[in-house]
Amino acid sequence: MNDADATLLEISGLSKSFGKYSVLADVNYRLRKGEIAAIIGPNGAGKTTFFNLITGYHRVDSGTVRFQGRDITNWPRHRIARAGISRAFQVSNIYPRLTTYENVRQAILAQEKKTLDIITRAGGLAKQDTLELLKLTGLLSNRDTVAGILSQGDKKKLELALALAGKPEMLLLDEPTAGMSSEETHETMEMVKRLNAQIGLTILFTEHDISVIFGYARKLSVLYQGTLIAEGTPEEVRKNEEAQRCYLGEEV
Amino acid sequence: MKNKTLLAAALFLFAAVLPLIVTEFWVHVLTEILILGLFAASFNMIFGYMGQLSFGHAAYYGVGAYTTGLLMVKANVPLLVCLPLSMLSAGLCAAVLGYFCVKLRGIYFAILTMAFGQLVYYIIFQWYSFTGGDNGLQGIVPPEFLGKAANPYYFFTLIVVAIGMTALWIISESPFGYTMRAIRDNAERTEFIGINVQRYMHLNFIIAAVFAGLAGALWGPFNRSVAPDLTNWQHSGMPVFMTVMGGPFSFLGPLVGSTIYTLLMAFVTSFTEYWPLVSGVIIILVVLLMPGGFLGLLNEKFPFLMQKLSGAKETDEQGRQEP
Amino acid sequence: MDITSLFAQFLSGLTYGTILFLVAAGLSLIFGVMNILNFAHAALWLMGAYFSYTFWNWMQGNSFSFWLSIPLAGVAAAAVGWVIEVVLIKRIYKRELYEQLLITYSIALIISDTIKLTWGVTNKLIVRPEIIQKPVFIFGAPLDSYFLVVIAAGAAVAAGLWWFLKYTRYGHIVKAAVFSREMVGALGIPIPRIYTWVFTLGIFLAGFAGGIQAPIGSITLGMDTAIIIQAFCVVVIGGFGSLLGTLVGSLIVGEVLSFTILFWPDGAMVLIFIITALILIVRPWGLFGTPMRI
Repeated sequence: MNDADATLLEISGLSKSFGKYSVLADVNYRLRKGEIAAIIGPNGAGKTTFFNLITGYHRVDSGTVRFQGRDITNWPRHRIARAGISRAFQVSNIYPRLTTYENVRQAILAQEKKTLDIITRAGGLAKQDTLELLKLTGLLSNRDTVAGILSQGDKKKLELALALAGKPEMLLLDEPTAGMSSEETHETMEMVKRLNAQIGLTILFTEHDISVIFGYARKLSVLYQGTLIAEGTPEEVRKNEEAQRCYLGEEV
Repeated sequence: MKNKTLLAAALFLFAAVLPLIVTEFWVHVLTEILILGLFAASFNMIFGYMGQLSFGHAAYYGVGAYTTGLLMVKANVPLLVCLPLSMLSAGLCAAVLGYFCVKLRGIYFAILTMAFGQLVYYIIFQWYSFTGGDNGLQGIVPPEFLGKAANPYYFFTLIVVAIGMTALWIISESPFGYTMRAIRDNAERTEFIGINVQRYMHLNFIIAAVFAGLAGALWGPFNRSVAPDLTNWQHSGMPVFMTVMGGPFSFLGPLVGSTIYTLLMAFVTSFTEYWPLVSGVIIILVVLLMPGGFLGLLNEKFPFLMQKLSGAKETDEQGRQEP
Repeated sequence: MDITSLFAQFLSGLTYGTILFLVAAGLSLIFGVMNILNFAHAALWLMGAYFSYTFWNWMQGNSFSFWLSIPLAGVAAAAVGWVIEVVLIKRIYKRELYEQLLITYSIALIISDTIKLTWGVTNKLIVRPEIIQKPVFIFGAPLDSYFLVVIAAGAAVAAGLWWFLKYTRYGHIVKAAVFSREMVGALGIPIPRIYTWVFTLGIFLAGFAGGIQAPIGSITLGMDTAIIIQAFCVVVIGGFGSLLGTLVGSLIVGEVLSFTILFWPDGAMVLIFIITALILIVRPWGLFGTPMRI
């Protein structure tokens, strides 16, 4: 079942409203394994809610989310994470009072299912893996800094590290390069691309930075007011009139 | 790391020689400090490490105390056997009640723990035939091999409490303990790294109750009796006071707090009956002026001392630690 | 058990429920608006009872001494409450939950001992005016005639609060603040001033409730420790910040206690705590509270 064309994520009829406000309406989406895909849309289009529904942050109103053939709709969050979906949040959702090192180590220990251990000294565990991940995400020099005072860009990197620590099959990145310099952006996205190439990590991200979209995404979908209005390669979407009208017309 | 072991050994030795230089009255006070210190340390597993305020922890302390009391008085079970049984009964109690508590957070968690604490109190209070109701259980005496003097029971308590604190220390430094810190810092994120936060909180709740039960078990023979009061909300407030006084969010804080609180109480009650008034004022002053508790104050005034003691690395202004 | 006895139980529960309502109303208001759980509420209630005793004592010659002492107790308590708010509560608005609880808990300890210091340990007894010394009979069930006063007072307070919240500007502000503190602040209304007035009003209610309680039996030390927990239960069951919730919650608790005593005397409080726990588990914001994310 290692066919690269196998569908990893299949979403049908996904809808969500908050009170009377409908955020997502009957969204269908499909992602192949090994894909690097992006979703764009104006603020309020529903991108984060889309991620929230996939990862169990909110309950869906209707529709299904299937991952690796299993129906994971409304599964508890930790179960979805264990199933292989990791997520990096738009607003850094890290452990502010732990050091960068401890942040990453925590996520690794969780992935290694060592967190029920009440006897071993945690300090000596997962050193190798933690350092490697810190190096990969460019956080090694900050390893002993208390995470709450990291710069915005570094927090985003830590966000990514936490998501990667879970050894996911699929990575959801919510505006991964927001707050980063162009150099950091390049570094981060190159790293993501490498992971995709080397271990077949499927990536789905949202972005406002057009150069990142066109530089890295192989599939692009446009979300507007809760529905997907265009889908295809970035080039195809760029030429799509409706997308131009809705998305680019909205953006100042 | 070595520093901490040395510190622990030094404290233990210091505690061991104290009876040789103080009167019997103070040996009693010291025993109380140790028992309540263990009680407060167990509370801190939920509070300092996991970040929730339990206002009903005395329920498990009381359950432990009554288990030992009942077994010793009604069935002549030896104390050494009673201790683990007390831990078990407190743990079972927490398994049931804690299951519900961990569905809530913040003030609702606090109130539910308080409600359950009162529930346990009233059950013990009203179940006259079994628990003796508001008369409590009298005539709980330390076992033969410890005799009736204060010192032997003190040493026994010291050893048991030392073992208990060591166990709590090991747990708090384990991956599970760090997961508790993670839950306190950002419970939401912890879900997303694949951890069933509710289940983990439940487990921690049980662990905390088990050690509260152990402390309670030590109390019965010490006090020669147990009463339902041991489980009421005022008693549940004690570990909160002590932990905040000593230094919330540090391992030794509760023990330090127990020392300060118990000594203060012994001192103040010797010349006035208005201990509630005095303790109320003290708590207010501590909360308003010394948010880090006593240990926090030490850390502020003598940072090098604290770091040497804890073996922590130097931390410069930017929160970076030197390698 | 015949109808008359059952009705008597009902009236008894109604009376006790009214007392609870009077105590819990202020507690609910304070928590709803300020998000602070006032552990000292019952202690201030007890202080109100003692105040009313003192006022009644001072005004011995006056034929209205009994009646006047009740609202005066509220005023005296409110003064104490005002001082507490300005000196202490102000400092803990933004503090952590445990700090707020410890502070109000400590205030409770201080108030309790202050009561002991001021009034001593002997029980205080207020002698009732002739008019309410004999029981009245309602549908054949005997009822302490003072209890009619209690129920009337409760109804008056409930109606007064309802009118205040619904029809006055300050009431609207308070209601809005229960719902969203930030919005009220954003509208340029000074939050600290509102908090002071709400707290003072809450304590006035507590003191007034103490005044109402005073002629029932005698006034003794330690009455507050039992009541505070019951008041918490009322507010949990009814819902913080909801007047209707407090009313319904207090009547539920009053009646449950009253009727449970008939067939399971030992279990009355146990049942109350089970109900409270159930509400917290199933619907933490109470029957009439505003649902919020836990």
